[in-house]
Formats: sequence, C-alpha cells, structure tokens
Amino acid sequence: MNKIHKEAERSEILTEVGKVIIPFIQIFAIYVILNGHLSPGGGFAGGTILGASMILHRLIFGWDNLISRLTYDRVMKWMCASLLIYGALKGYSFLTGGMHLEVWDVPLGTPGKLLSGGFILPLNIAVGIIVSITVYVFFKLFYEGTI
Amino acid sequence: MPIYNSYPLVIILLLFVSAFAIPIFKSIKMARIISISAAGISFALSILTLMGVKADGAYYFRVGHFDAPWGIEFHIGIIEGLMGVLFMTVSLAVLWFSVYSIDHDLSKKKVPIFYTLVNLLVGSLLGIVFSDDLFNCFVFIEISSIASCGIVVVKDKKENIKAALKYLILSSLGSGLVLMGIALVYSLTGHLNMPHIHDVLVSIYPDHSRNMLIAIGLFTVGLGVKSAMFPLHTWLPDAHTYAPASSSALLSALVLKAYVILYIKIIHRVFGMSIVGDLPVLNIVLLLGAVGMIAGSVLAILQKNIKRMVAYSSVAQMGYVFFGIGLGTTMGLAAAIFQIFNHAFTKSALFLSAGSIIEKTGKKNIADLKGVGKEMPFTLAIFTIGGMSLVGIPLLSGFNSKWNFAVAVIEAHRVELLAVVLISSLLNALYYFPVIVNGYFGEESLEGKVYRNTERPIKELVPIFALVLGVIYFGVSGGGLLSLIEAGIPALK
Amino acid sequence: MEHLLANYYETGAIILFGVGFVTLLAHGNLIKKIIGMNIMDTAVFLFFIAKGYIAGNEAPIIRSVKSASGYVNPVPTALMLTGIVVAVSITAFALALTIRVYEKYGTVDLNEIIKMGGE
Repeated sequence: MNKIHKEAERSEILTEVGKVIIPFIQIFAIYVILNGHLSPGGGFAGGTILGASMILHRLIFGWDNLISRLTYDRVMKWMCASLLIYGALKGYSFLTGGMHLEVWDVPLGTPGKLLSGGFILPLNIAVGIIVSITVYVFFKLFYEGTI
Repeated sequence: MPIYNSYPLVIILLLFVSAFAIPIFKSIKMARIISISAAGISFALSILTLMGVKADGAYYFRVGHFDAPWGIEFHIGIIEGLMGVLFMTVSLAVLWFSVYSIDHDLSKKKVPIFYTLVNLLVGSLLGIVFSDDLFNCFVFIEISSIASCGIVVVKDKKENIKAALKYLILSSLGSGLVLMGIALVYSLTGHLNMPHIHDVLVSIYPDHSRNMLIAIGLFTVGLGVKSAMFPLHTWLPDAHTYAPASSSALLSALVLKAYVILYIKIIHRVFGMSIVGDLPVLNIVLLLGAVGMIAGSVLAILQKNIKRMVAYSSVAQMGYVFFGIGLGTTMGLAAAIFQIFNHAFTKSALFLSAGSIIEKTGKKNIADLKGVGKEMPFTLAIFTIGGMSLVGIPLLSGFNSKWNFAVAVIEAHRVELLAVVLISSLLNALYYFPVIVNGYFGEESLEGKVYRNTERPIKELVPIFALVLGVIYFGVSGGGLLSLIEAGIPALK
Repeated sequence: MEHLLANYYETGAIILFGVGFVTLLAHGNLIKKIIGMNIMDTAVFLFFIAKGYIAGNEAPIIRSVKSASGYVNPVPTALMLTGIVVAVSITAFALALTIRVYEKYGTVDLNEIIKMGGE
C-alpha cells in the first residue's frame, strides 16, 4: 500500500503563522527541559514539546524543507550520541558511588538555582533530545509508512 | 571493597552502551565486532564474579550514591552469579553462530538492528536477575519485552508480525498485572527494596493477609504469562516458531528463565515461606506445572513443523520448573534451578540445529526430513543429543535433572507425583525419537541421499558443539552444580 | 462500603483496571485491544499516584524561603513518570506492528487473522 500523500498547496496563513510560532514552541521546550530540577517538567515533557514542534514544522513546510535537515542518518547519530553521553554520565556516577571511591564529583550547588543539582541538568538535556527524536521518528513512521 | 563487586554493573552498562554504539557505524562487520566483543568481555567478567562470590560470600552493591531504602541495590549471591555465567555463555554461543546464519533470514539493512536488540535483551535480563529493587526489576522487564518482540519481528514475513503482535499484547498484559502487584506491595509497606519489604510484611501479616494473597496472585499470573506457565502459554508456539533460528534459541533458552528467577525471588525474598506457606498459591503452581508437563508434551506430539514441536517442548520443560517451585522445599527449588541450566543449554542447541536443518534443506515438516541424517550427520547428531537429554538418557544433563525432581518429590512425601515425572519423560520420547530414527535409519529413507551433501562446514558448527559440551558436562558431573545451588539458596532468602 | 467510598480514587482505579482488562481480552479488533491495554496501564498509574496523596499537603515544589507545612509523597509520581513513558513506547510499537499487519493481511480483526494463518 503506497502512502504517498499529495502535499496540499502552500497555505499562506499556515506558513506565516508557523514561522512565528515554531521558534516560540522550541524556546518553551528548552525552558521546560532546563528547569527540570526546579519545577515540573524535565527531560520527558520538554522532549515531547520539542518533538511536537518538529512534527509541526514537517506538516506545515512540507517534505522539501525538512529533507535536508532531519534525515534518518543525522537523527540517528544525534540520538546515539545522546544515549552514549547519558550512559557515560550514569556509569561514572554509579561506579564511583557503588565502589565508594573518593573522586571528583559534579558540584551539587544550592537548591533553587539553575546551574545546580549535580548530574540532573546534563541528563535532562540528553533525555530531551532523545525523546524529541523518538517522537518525531514515530510520527514519520506512521505518516509515511517508512522511516 | 574488592573490585569484582562492581562487575555485574559493568556487565550491564557494557551491554547497553555497546547496543547504542552499533547504529552509529552502519556496517554489518562493525556491528558484529562490537556486539561479540561486548559479550565476550561480559562473559569473562561474569566468571570472575562467580569465583569471587564463591570465595567471599554474597554481597550488596549500591548503585549510585544512596544507600538501601532510598537508592537501588544489587544483591549478588551464588545463584545470581551462576545465572550470570549461564546467560553470558548461551548468548555468546548464539551470537557466534548467528554470524554464519543470520544473513539467510534477514535483509541486509536489518542485521545491525538485530545485534542491538540482542545486546539490549541480554543486558536487561541480567538486570532482572541482579536487581534487589522491585521497580527497577519492572523497568528491566519492560525493556526485555520490547527487545524480545523486536528480535521476533526483525524478520519481515507475514506470520512473524502476527506472532510478534500476539506476544506483545499478552506480554504487556503480564506487565500490567505485575505493576499492579508492585503498587499493592508499595501501598502496604512504603518500601521498594526487597529485604525491607520482607521485614515490614512479616510484621503486618495478620491484619492484611487478603491484600498479600491478591498481590501474590497478581505476581503469579503476570510472571506466569511472561514465562509460559501452562494455560498462559498461548503466545509461545507462534513466537518461537516463526522467529529466525538464533532468535528462537535466545527466546526459549534465556527470556523465559529470567522471569522465573524474579518469581522465585519474589516468593522467597519479598514474601518468604512463612507467609506463602499458609496460602494455597504454591499448590496451584504445582498443579499447573504438572499439567503443563503433560499437556505440553501431548501437544508437541501432534505437531508437524519441527520448530513448532520444539517450541511446545519448551512449554513442557518450563512445567518442570514450576513443578519444582510449587513443591516448596529447598530440594525442589534446587531441582528447579538445575532444570533451568539444563533446559537453557539443551533447548538452545536444539533450536540452533533445527534452524540449521531448515536453512540448508529448505524443508520444515517432520515428514519431509526422512533420511536427513545421511545428508547432515553432524547437525542431526546435535539434535539427537539434545533430544536424548530431554528424554532422560543417563550421562546427559536431562537425566540428572529428572533424578533431582524425583528425589525432591520423595523427600517432600508426595510420592504420587513421581508418576507425573515418569509419564512426561515417556511422552518426550514419543516425539523426539521419530525424528531421530527416521533421520538416520530406514532403507527407503536413505536412498537417493548423498553423504554430507548439504552439511554445514565444521567451523560453523563449533558454537553448537560448545553448547552440547555443556549438556554432556552437566550430565556427567551434575552433582557439583547441584551442591553449589543448594549452598546458594539460603542467601537467596 | 464506606471504606470503598472514602478511598474513591483507589476504587475508581480498580474499576478502570477491570474495564481495561476485559477490553484487552474480549474484543477481537486489534485497535480495541491496544486501547484496553492503555486503559489498564492508566488505571495502575492512578492507583499508585493516589496512594501517595496525603490530604491537606501541597505539591512537592519549594517555591520560596517559607515552605509549606507538609508535602505530598513525590516518590510515586517519579516512578509513574517512568511507567507512563514505558506505556507510551509499547503503544507506539504495537500501533506500528498493527499497520504492518493491516498491510499484509488486509484486516485488523485478530480472530480472522488467526483463521487466515498460512505462509
């Protein structure tokens, strides 16, 4: 079953509104990811919002615009790099904690400040990237039938 | 703290990180190198862990910087060490064999995904075995469900997708029930760490016995669906038949076992025999195990496809394990764990050799495989040794396993159950022997076949020979393993 | 009976669990089975999170220097976040498989697919 969708003609309202709204959605997503340790949100919720903005971009601006930026290879490389960074950070924390080693640890900081909380901030960023790419890949799989 | 304490965590991290490093390089050769080297290093680390635990005793390893009730801990005793060695041995042999056989079943694009999924699967199964925290076990259960459905569906045929969908839906049913059980236990005690839960449960047992009965029931049905206890096994024949040969070997040998180990840990570590002994749960598990032993074999006799017959035989052998758990005695538990070892080695050898026969001759039905012994003598020899082990011929590990069950039954003063063990051994013979006899003997079967016509080169059969060597080794010297298991059981509780 | 009405969150969660369970098993349509699975998982999340609620306390966020009198238990919320992510990923995987099944078999009814069988 072929799933080639005929792209509707460019609607000017959608294009103009999209050009203004999508950056705001992405800034909001980055805000939610970075404030994961201070207020509700974090990697999962922020990643979903970022993925939703990528889906919106793909729906409004069509295939030609996105084919050069979010190909399968590039997206997979970002996701694997994020997963490896996540694994390395977590592995360092687990092994030094479990073996009771006295090595350098990420400074904990004070509660309430943005750049504090030890490992939580880099981990939230990695999780945000992973979740957004996963949401986008699943949307492409359902919409077009192939990745 | 000795360095081998951290090896279980290093094994799991290594397997996960190597699984995520594979999609970066897109070539099949790099995927194989990364996957097999990670499995090889993990195999060496697991042996070092087992040697360390045998020398120094069981230990707790805290993961991260927080201690027990607030952080996650791993508990490594002799039984967990043995399981680690078993899982890494079987998965290393299957990965080695898959280098020669997986190209035949999958398209070229999907082979790296297969290696990613296998590494994820083995890593998460080891996580279920090692972890001492209930919710951590649940997360690893979910990872292993998705990975095991993945290795069924990575081959792209029509019936694979149907089998994987049935497996996924029934598997998530099981996970939902297990999560509800964890919710009940958490609401009773407020802890998620197994020894802490045990202390609280023992003290509040008289007031909340009905709650605990429901929780044990939910865990039994949930983990029973995932590890093919008798009436809940309906997903198993399709999933194990249509998967590629290496996937079937991994699914049947390893995936079912990790959930059984978790079930043993829940019954004996979280609840303990003082609570479970009053409830009728173990008797029901014993009954379902006994019925499974016989019904699985009866259903296997009726099958025409060779892999489907071996899959139903898996249901029967898992019935043995539940039979041993249901007996409730230490000897029964030791017999069940020995059967886990026996079945893992035997069934993986059987599935790999059956898959090899199907791949080389192109015929799937037993009726078409007459005389295949002349064309593929060594492969059918491996199948023969595996089959004879499951029937219970002495000098092979299956005989030791059935002997252990008989001793456990007599020690528990339930001699009438001995008949079940004997009848199921007899039924096993009824469906393994026709394949073997028709393969090697019979004049009209052998005419027209050329000797070693379609045989695999010996170099490709070496991994399956390694598994068969394990079967013979546990057959000849099973006593050492059994005493090791019995020494490890008190630490499990 | 008043116990059931006093803990109305947990009662509602168990009823939803039963609804989801029966939907998962009884209907033949694959999409309904996936919906039933989601209802069942959501019911467990509701049960777990409701068990962490303590009446009269606030959400566990430190807003300013003067903190509230007591906080709700944050552990079940964090655990269920993981559970929700797992449920979403299994739903996505099952839906992707359903699309492939529809392409190859032409129907989404599990009973008819089993009857069709074959290679």
